[in-house]
Amino acid sequence: MANCDETIAKLYEYLDRELSPAERREVEGHLALCPPCREHFRFEYNVLSLIGKRCRETAAPPELVARVRKMCERAPSDP
Amino acid sequence: MADRSLEQVNDPCVGAEGLTEQSRSQLEQDAIAHIDALYRTALRMTRSSSDAEDLVQETYLRAFRSLHQFAEGTNLRAWLFRIMTNTYINDYRKRQRRPTNTSLDDIEDFYLYDHLVDSVVQPQSDNPEEEVLERLTTANITDAIDELPEEFRQVVTLADVEGFSYREIADVLQIPVGTVMSRLFRARRRLRKVLYDVAIESGYIREMASDGQL
Repeated sequence: MANCDETIAKLYEYLDRELSPAERREVEGHLALCPPCREHFRFEYNVLSLIGKRCRETAAPPELVARVRKMCERAPSDP
Repeated sequence: MADRSLEQVNDPCVGAEGLTEQSRSQLEQDAIAHIDALYRTALRMTRSSSDAEDLVQETYLRAFRSLHQFAEGTNLRAWLFRIMTNTYINDYRKRQRRPTNTSLDDIEDFYLYDHLVDSVVQPQSDNPEEEVLERLTTANITDAIDELPEEFRQVVTLADVEGFSYREIADVLQIPVGTVMSRLFRARRRLRKVLYDVAIESGYIREMASDGQL
């Protein structure tokens, strides 16, 4: 069973879904038994979600979208 | 799969024929669907809305010109981001005059969490750390990202905002996956320190004095 340090070292890879199924199971096995690590993972998950959610509120200005659409109409075929 | 299409950006000999007008038009529409993501990323890279608009427009110009090189069925989004990254490096980076602080790398790994759990925040709340987070506005977060050095802004935006995998980021930035991981870790560490400082400055939290008194 992984200890706290080993589990916290995999925090971001776990949250980024970059671990193998076996590594995931090992992390989840530790989290199931360790409330402090679980709390830490949950916090970092919330930070990442918040950063994503807030930053994705920004959209391209309509004028830019219109210019790109126009450019696409005129894009010459390659020889 | 993604690698192949990305390699072709710089290879004008591949697939020059065979793109029908219909599939070109479809690819253009598919590419335009990524404009919000490209613009958000351009904004974090250039830190200027007018430069970001120019960068995105230039990216689409180059993408549409080399659309015949794109291998259909591969990763269009990563391909567009790679074109934008190359355009940025070649044309925009030299314009960036705002200095970034690249020292200060001796921050605790999980600064925000470690400090928040030690802070006294609204004791009546069941979940004080979450409440502090929720008070961070979009401007707080984008300003915090904009304080990071360029290479950190890049990976944080690609991973945490646009949700690219480590492999895709490696392809977009043309760096090894191991470098993506270490850079992303350091970027997140630094960002959490900045977010903590923002939370203090904005009065979302008050730092507890060493004697336990506020």
